[in-house]
Amino acid sequence: MFRRLISHLLVLSAALALPFAAAAQEKTGSKDGFTLQQGSVRIALLEPRIIVGEQSTGGLFEPNADWTAQARENLERELTNALGGVGNEVVRLNLNVTPEADSLRRYNYLFGAVAGSVVEYQFFPGNRLPTKKQEKSFEWSVGPGLRDVAALEGFDYVLMIRTKDAYGSTGRKALQIVGLLAGVGVTSGEHVGMAGLVDVKTGDLVWLNADLQMGGDPRTPEGAAKRVSQLLEGFPGMEPGKP
Amino acid sequence: MKRSVIVTAIALAATIPLAVNAADDEPVLPPYVPAYEPQSVDERGMWMMADEQEKLMALSELRIDDEELNAYVERVLCDTVGKDRCTGVRVHILNIPAFNATMSPNGAMTVWSGLLLRVRSEAQLAAVLGHEFAHFEMRHSLKGFEQRRSASDAWSWLAVLGGIAQVNTGDAQVSLVGSIFQFNRGQETEADLLGLKYLAQSPYPSRAASEVWQQLMEEADATDFGRKLKRRESYRAGFFDTHPTSLSRADYLLDQALAYNDSGDPRDDEHYAAIKKHLPKFLSDQVKLNDFNGTEYILSGIAGTTGWTGELLHARAELFAARGNPRDLITSTTLYLQAMEAGYRPPETLRGLGLSLVKSGKRSEGAKYLEDYLAAAPEAPDAAIIKMYVPK
Amino acid sequence: MLRHITAALTALTLLSFPAAAHKVIEPGLNNNIVKGVFSAKPESRWNRLQQRDGNFQEVWTIDGDRLNRIVFYGGVPVGQPLLRERDKKRDPLPAVTGNMLLPDIPLLLERTYRTKYGVAIMSIGKQEPATLDGRPAIAFDYTYIDPEYEVETKGEAIAALDNGKLYLVAFEAPAVYYFGRDVEKFRNLVTTLSLKG
Repeated sequence: MFRRLISHLLVLSAALALPFAAAAQEKTGSKDGFTLQQGSVRIALLEPRIIVGEQSTGGLFEPNADWTAQARENLERELTNALGGVGNEVVRLNLNVTPEADSLRRYNYLFGAVAGSVVEYQFFPGNRLPTKKQEKSFEWSVGPGLRDVAALEGFDYVLMIRTKDAYGSTGRKALQIVGLLAGVGVTSGEHVGMAGLVDVKTGDLVWLNADLQMGGDPRTPEGAAKRVSQLLEGFPGMEPGKP
Repeated sequence: MKRSVIVTAIALAATIPLAVNAADDEPVLPPYVPAYEPQSVDERGMWMMADEQEKLMALSELRIDDEELNAYVERVLCDTVGKDRCTGVRVHILNIPAFNATMSPNGAMTVWSGLLLRVRSEAQLAAVLGHEFAHFEMRHSLKGFEQRRSASDAWSWLAVLGGIAQVNTGDAQVSLVGSIFQFNRGQETEADLLGLKYLAQSPYPSRAASEVWQQLMEEADATDFGRKLKRRESYRAGFFDTHPTSLSRADYLLDQALAYNDSGDPRDDEHYAAIKKHLPKFLSDQVKLNDFNGTEYILSGIAGTTGWTGELLHARAELFAARGNPRDLITSTTLYLQAMEAGYRPPETLRGLGLSLVKSGKRSEGAKYLEDYLAAAPEAPDAAIIKMYVPK
Repeated sequence: MLRHITAALTALTLLSFPAAAHKVIEPGLNNNIVKGVFSAKPESRWNRLQQRDGNFQEVWTIDGDRLNRIVFYGGVPVGQPLLRERDKKRDPLPAVTGNMLLPDIPLLLERTYRTKYGVAIMSIGKQEPATLDGRPAIAFDYTYIDPEYEVETKGEAIAALDNGKLYLVAFEAPAVYYFGRDVEKFRNLVTTLSLKG
């Protein structure tokens, strides 16, 4: 996915003291003319990838099971509320190791590749493909074969959610201050997230939101609500501020 | 890093009677504590990652899903560490042509196909599995890993494969192939010594541990020789990257093995029998890696037990054919013929022989073998292009 | 991964030098592929990636490198690998040899992908005679698992040896949806390919 690229970009932009981090923190794209029909839509929440941990002094990610468990519980609940609150049904789908689930697994890998491409080649200003630069051009898909995936029968959309929170440790924060004094940029903490919606009938990615500097602490219910509203920012058919 | 209580117990534990000479060291195993639950915050975080990784591994395209092969590796593990210890360990075999094995804190073990190709006996496989299991038994902490990258070894696979089944966003270290599960030098030594104890207690000879290291170093030397690199003082690449090694490592393992003075059947034939079905594929993947001398070394190593079988001769022929220096084609021709004389006559051998002859200028002789290839495999995917070299 | 760092670094540079960004390939005659080694006449728009993996390689894409790519390897001489060396001394890539035949070309591609890109799972499929700008060529297909996203990727290629140099043009895309959707564009392009003298 875009994960490594974003991580490297954050580190690099800090190192090169470029304004990337400020310039391109969040980006949303949606298919021209798409809005979500309220009230009767079934959304498959495909095994969200949510992880929380600490960023060590050396910049390495150290996962924290408790924080992650809390974040997962909170975020999934808030997502269900936010989307279901407008009359839709949100059902969580797991990826299993069965022959029947093989098709879904392969599409899941492809979702990652498509989302990664959107971020790498459309969202990221320095790397944009010129043919993708036009205002209304958000043409991304995994193809109409998606509707034949047995596990997705009865669903209208697939929702992908991926977030990573790495809280700067004391050591890392100290390093940040030292760095500031020395004139070297050191980022402390990393809060990246992505949410995407795919139309099961067509396989079209109708909406994608990528945010490199997410707010809201997902370990708390209030923070998770704030985080979800950021993840779903620009979600077609949803008005900002509504739960 | 948490030093396990068990390590202390090793020093204090009551002697368990063993059938060894009274004058020898006695390899005393600590009492085993199964069903361990992670305690500290960090440990639980690591276990959670390990569980997720394992799930993704089960879903991965890299997994070799062969019950027999899995059963073999699990059986060797159980024969090494005993039934009490081995229940609950899940073995995953990955299709990666490099030497590596990893152990997660939740009991998931991976073994790469490149390892199965390089160990020359069940005892050597046991040595590696025992070493990895020792990390698990001693609950070695997983802190302190560093990102390392070097070419043509386990880490280059990780660097590039880092995308595979990454658990969540962002971190290159958190990858399927267990790059986070890396231990420091002290932990490596502990794992060596406990691993050796398992071996000494097992039916396998404990000298096998030293042999593994010696062979890996010799392979690295061969690779360097082939690339006209200076002979190295220390070994860093490949398995050495995750298992820091000095030349003394093979030595102290051998010393301790001599002190145990245990003996046993290394079961080398049995190892090759167990991997026989997969050997041509393992060999083919290795040959394609463009490491001429390292691969030669591996092939000779296998031949030491099995003799130069048709599979090995064929692989060696492919090695020369791919390098393709003028004299190499004469060598490859000879080797393909030898493979056939040894009774190994799959279509690939006929094809290889035919093409080597054609490229050496012996077009009509080559055409003969290519005709045989087409007769043996009329539906071969490359039949149409091979026909080009067979005059009508 | 190194690829990504390189891409990211280059991309960051691009922020300051927008002229060095990816370029549009418009439909119509294009005789500047791999610095003029190839010419072709695409029927639709493509993007030419700014980053090249070595002097002999060029990549065109519609939606991004991992979703659809045409890779041109132009005029690789004997002794040279298809792609830029990672570490020529310690870890050399396989190279074009003087006695290569057409059936050896797919293996060279496979060995290159396995060594440079760490592709662990790859297989070559159909291999047939063809012509590339009047020269005898091999047309072949393959599949591999892309290490980055673990997506099964299909490839179709045509290659020729001419005057001691290797020419290879391939199309790669995920087996699901993308390959089927875009391969015709590649096949049509191949019919218009020509090699410089």
